[in-house]
Amino acid sequence: MLARSTDTPEAAPPHVPGRSGTDRLAMFRTAARHSRNVRALKIALPALALVMAALFLFQSYRSSPGSVEIVAETSAVSEGKLVMANPKLEGFTEDNRPYSVSALRAVQDIANEAIVELQGIAATLPLNDEMSATIDAARGVFDRNMNTLDVNSEINITTSDGSQAKLGSALIDIAGGRMTTDKPVEIRFKNGSINSDALSVEQNGKLVVFDKRVRVNIVPPKAETASQ
Amino acid sequence: QESATGRLQGLSISSGLPIQIESDRLEVVDGESKAVFVGNVNVTQGPTMLKAGKMTVYYASGSTGSPATGSANIDRLEVEGKVYIKSDTQVATGDRGTFDMTSEVLTLSGSEVVLSEGKNVLVGCKLTVNMKSGRAQVDGCKSETNKSGRVMMSIQPGSQNR
Repeated sequence: MLARSTDTPEAAPPHVPGRSGTDRLAMFRTAARHSRNVRALKIALPALALVMAALFLFQSYRSSPGSVEIVAETSAVSEGKLVMANPKLEGFTEDNRPYSVSALRAVQDIANEAIVELQGIAATLPLNDEMSATIDAARGVFDRNMNTLDVNSEINITTSDGSQAKLGSALIDIAGGRMTTDKPVEIRFKNGSINSDALSVEQNGKLVVFDKRVRVNIVPPKAETASQ
Repeated sequence: QESATGRLQGLSISSGLPIQIESDRLEVVDGESKAVFVGNVNVTQGPTMLKAGKMTVYYASGSTGSPATGSANIDRLEVEGKVYIKSDTQVATGDRGTFDMTSEVLTLSGSEVVLSEGKNVLVGCKLTVNMKSGRAQVDGCKSETNKSGRVMMSIQPGSQNR
């Protein structure tokens, strides 16, 4: 589901010497458009949702994101932190379906630019031809060196066919296509639900393991008609 | 190989009722369209209850949906590790069991498969139950000690005219 290309995103973006906030922003923007960092970021944020979406629907999602455009309404530097308001990452997957990942705020510490704290994360992800998923989470910390996103707040995922997932937290290893949480998980789908107290998703959703007090409830479709 | 047959009304899975499954762990392997419940597996549907150490649910390959969304249709179940099946009147125990959803045939096998209803007990090495007809058959064990492969059956007097 992530780009299957052999080139894995390289470790750390080149360290940018100290600059004033504004031209750093300009540098970040231009860097964002052209340099390979963008490719890392481009893969990173959508991958968060891809991995989660995979968790949710247990379908692997093979196309990889195509072009990307980072847009931020206003940005400011305060107390050594670059604050971007409403950063939005939009693009199209290779089979031309739109995705968008946005946040109310992205806060990046100028001294350590690999860490981006995202607040008010919201993403819309195409899953397959007919279905898409929306994902929202209060906040998460994205580490570009480790290529991980640590969402330490509740995550809600809803798909266009009405299925829903609620996770207490999620540590996402984006390059590795892994996601784990040791907080309760609840998934509701058309005719049933799955609950457990821990979850791990491996190989981009190929293997999903619910752990600790797994409870599955299946209401066979016939039952619905019977009860009317 | 001697076998005993009988009517087995209790032990049937009415497909309309909701199913609850509990276990320590659930592994869903997307590529192989199967879901494996591991550890203290407990399945209840209406009056019928099944306990086992492990239960593997095989989905019809190429079925739409996926194991976890429950929308994929189930091909068969395999259970192992101290299998215990109880319906409102009968209890069956064995080491391994399979349940084929299409033919609705349940088989339970092991070194000692016991099917009991109240004090009536049938002991053999294999229990085959056709869920649709409720017809059950227990086959004896072919082994050195029990050459004849006889089924051990004990019927409590007076239980027939219940």
